[in-house]
Amino acid sequence: MSAIATKTLLEVRGLEVEYGRVRAVDGVDLDIASGETLGLAGESGCGKSTVANAVMQILRPPAHIVGGSIRFQGEELTGKSNEELRRFRWRNVSMVFQSAMNALNPVMRVGDQFVDMMQAHERISKHRAIVRAGELLELVGMDKHRVRSYPHELSGGMRQRVIIAMALALNPELIILDEPTTALDVVVQREILQEVEALKRDFGFAVLFITHDLSLLLEFADRIAIMYAGEIVEAAPAATLAESPLHPYTQGLLQSFPPLTGPRVKLTGIAGAPPDLREPPAGCRFHPRCPHCVPENVALYFRQTSERPRLREITPGHFVACHLVDA
Amino acid sequence: MAQLDPTALDLPLAAPKRGIRVGRIPIPGWLALLLRNSKSRTGLLIVVFMVVIAVIAPLISVAHPNDFNLLATRQAPSWHHLFGTTDQGSDVFSQVVVGARRSLLLGALAGAFATLVAAALGITAAYVGGIVDEVVNLLTNVFLTIPAIPLLVVASGYLRARGMWTMIAVIALVLWAFEARILRAQALTLKNRDFILAAKTSGEPTWRIVFGELMPNMISRIAAAFVLVFYISLLVDSGLEFLGLGDMSATSWGVTIYWAQVNSTVLQGEWWPFLFPSLALGLTVLGLVLVLAGIDEVSNPQLRTEHRRGRLLRLLFGRAAA
Amino acid sequence: MSVLEVRDLSKSFAIGGALRRQHVHAVEDVSFSLRPGTITALVGESGSGKSTVARLIARLYDPSSGAVFFGDEDVAQVRRRKDVLRYRSQVQLIFQDPFGSLNPVKTVRHHIERPLRIHDIVPSSQVDDRVYELLETVGLVPAREVADKYPHELSGGQRQRVAIARALAVEPTVVLADEPTSMLDVSIRIGILNLMLKLKDERDIAFLYVTHDIASARYVADDILVMYAGQIVERGPVEQVLAEPLHPYTRLLLAAVHGERIADRGSGASAAVDPVEGCRFVSRCPLAIPVCSEVTPELVEARRQHAARCHVTAPAT
Repeated sequence: MSAIATKTLLEVRGLEVEYGRVRAVDGVDLDIASGETLGLAGESGCGKSTVANAVMQILRPPAHIVGGSIRFQGEELTGKSNEELRRFRWRNVSMVFQSAMNALNPVMRVGDQFVDMMQAHERISKHRAIVRAGELLELVGMDKHRVRSYPHELSGGMRQRVIIAMALALNPELIILDEPTTALDVVVQREILQEVEALKRDFGFAVLFITHDLSLLLEFADRIAIMYAGEIVEAAPAATLAESPLHPYTQGLLQSFPPLTGPRVKLTGIAGAPPDLREPPAGCRFHPRCPHCVPENVALYFRQTSERPRLREITPGHFVACHLVDA
Repeated sequence: MAQLDPTALDLPLAAPKRGIRVGRIPIPGWLALLLRNSKSRTGLLIVVFMVVIAVIAPLISVAHPNDFNLLATRQAPSWHHLFGTTDQGSDVFSQVVVGARRSLLLGALAGAFATLVAAALGITAAYVGGIVDEVVNLLTNVFLTIPAIPLLVVASGYLRARGMWTMIAVIALVLWAFEARILRAQALTLKNRDFILAAKTSGEPTWRIVFGELMPNMISRIAAAFVLVFYISLLVDSGLEFLGLGDMSATSWGVTIYWAQVNSTVLQGEWWPFLFPSLALGLTVLGLVLVLAGIDEVSNPQLRTEHRRGRLLRLLFGRAAA
Repeated sequence: MSVLEVRDLSKSFAIGGALRRQHVHAVEDVSFSLRPGTITALVGESGSGKSTVARLIARLYDPSSGAVFFGDEDVAQVRRRKDVLRYRSQVQLIFQDPFGSLNPVKTVRHHIERPLRIHDIVPSSQVDDRVYELLETVGLVPAREVADKYPHELSGGQRQRVAIARALAVEPTVVLADEPTSMLDVSIRIGILNLMLKLKDERDIAFLYVTHDIASARYVADDILVMYAGQIVERGPVEQVLAEPLHPYTRLLLAAVHGERIADRGSGASAAVDPVEGCRFVSRCPLAIPVCSEVTPELVEARRQHAARCHVTAPAT
């Protein structure tokens, strides 16, 4: 995978989203090239799911976009009418979220739910839609006869596969996976992600993969963006991020996963807790938890606690927002 | 993860934000919450107004509101008789303000008794389960199947003592079962929450879990039950008196309306003995209903109408987002 | 020397109506023991019965059969309130969900003070001081300030620390930690695990660490128990089990977290409904031989202190 985007599919610039008076997303820039997997990692409440919902334009009040632009294939999404957005969703971008497997209608057969969804977007006979649903289920590694099943007859992993098959149904250019496997067991999780990877090779869609589990992204994403307290603090190709993380938060996150091999060393994690976004810390939002933010280093400390670091490109493709790197 | 909003799970009335101070008066958190909600604020204002009227009633009314005064019968409202006089010449204003005492006291006491019984039985049954639950369930079902209105009519019609206490007892007896059922259902959803199990593993005795751990979590539901029984008993009490089944020698809104009706005052163009007690009753009930709606909204954030315009649009055109 | 011993513990739940009554065997013949100053990890997927084991030991459920020995008495049979209280003062449970395990309408102080008072751990006059001391032990400072907060004023990590302080209040010898970190943010999980390590050393507590995260089990635990469909399928010192797993299920789990390609069409590790004879894992097992679907394997010690329930890799002698 080249670090340089071949053709930009999604371009987010300066996105700002507020929940009431709380700014959950504060100036986020993102690019996704066609066929690329971008990982977006961060802890709960950092705004990563809000970014996804903003891209899908499914923010629910009190959440609303207050600034920035979201362009998909060069077309501005903010300010589109509901009807335009309805056609755009699923056809161009589809989404699989964590609780999606519970979003299936419990009293409808799986196949009929496919029919409903497809008929909402294109003229297709019921019979053809069912056949297509069977094909899609086979694509995600299920028996095509499962179209006749009711959701409660399927395990959590299978239901999540059904949702992924639905997301594929209209051949979208971008699929957003928002914690798609968090509720599932490790073995099932890995199988599903393997399948998504294989499908991606065949169909060439791009993926925005949102999770709190950085270790999954290191494996499945081409590029990774790390969010903290509503901002992107670091973005780089996966391999670069794993080898030379620059932001102390990224370093801390990578230090938070105990290894399965090698010597058992004492880990430290990150002290403290993510900030309350109603009153984010002044300056760098990470500074209260940052091990490199000490009053002894007067000049740097002053900058860290008063000036917000900007996201800058340090080496080609590697962006970071940190005063330590500037210095 | 992100969907797990702890404040949505909790009951804000019971674990409110810190209290605030207005000047030197400390206001507890739950009251501050209720005052911030426009519905309950209006409702509380009305109820407090009625309570103040009831408290100062002896100061602003004649000593014996039911006294005859054949020299001043059927007078229209005037500065001398603010709400006019009845066909017996009694001062309607005095009857209304003194009647407020009885109505509010009766409602509050009936509400308190019914809620107390309902909470104690309902929550204990839910938590303890087993045979206790079966028995309480049977009891509530029996009381629920009793046709309330006829029982009230019969009880108040034939009981020798027709005083306020009889009324309170009868109303509480009929209404506790509704609340017990609601509170039991809510306690059932709470009893397997981890914090109850944790209290159990730390060795808390049952009564402490019921009253110390479960009940405070249901305080908004219990408060709602109290307010509900409060205004239902107001309505029931006045209704029975209107039918002539109450204590006809008492001073109350229902009795005033009853005599107005018996003497067909409205037909003779005398609207005041009818209107003012009805207005007082209506206003009090409205106040209580608003308080109830406020409690509901505060304790169930999904009902809050902060974004009125958005909500209205969604109601009109259905959900915009699929 | 073990402080708590679980022997052939089983728990089944009845499902279905009176006519077609079936039993889900959530826990089947589970045996292990906990030693002071060690952490024993109980690893399994959701539905494997691992949390049920912890709750059985904590006496939140009564076992269908089997025994839990604390000292030399079977606590599953204890009924008298005084004896139950004594057990509760020795064995404490920490819940998975820190948002659910604290009473939302009570302050932090209440949560820690109650066990102190119920079990008369310290005289009334010293309760406050002990509360602050406990809060400091779990790293919640300034303790006096934290004590008067409500749970919703704390972050998830802080709440879990309160839950740990509550468990420590009674000075227990055994702490059952039921997935104490799975609901927490990644960056603060290590902090909780480090706290467990510290308490194990300083207070000689025997921990049962229930988790689905095998890497964190390796980080804190001395011994590991792997559970699948209600049974313990492998048991041994954590380093040895992870380095040379015997049971095919343990191998599958490790492959999944190691990031190896796996080919498995599993249906999860849920407990069996009215199970028949045979290995629970047979339908997913790459090593299965005919005997596997006929005879339920026993837990056999194939290496020193390292046992597995598998006809192929740990055959009965």
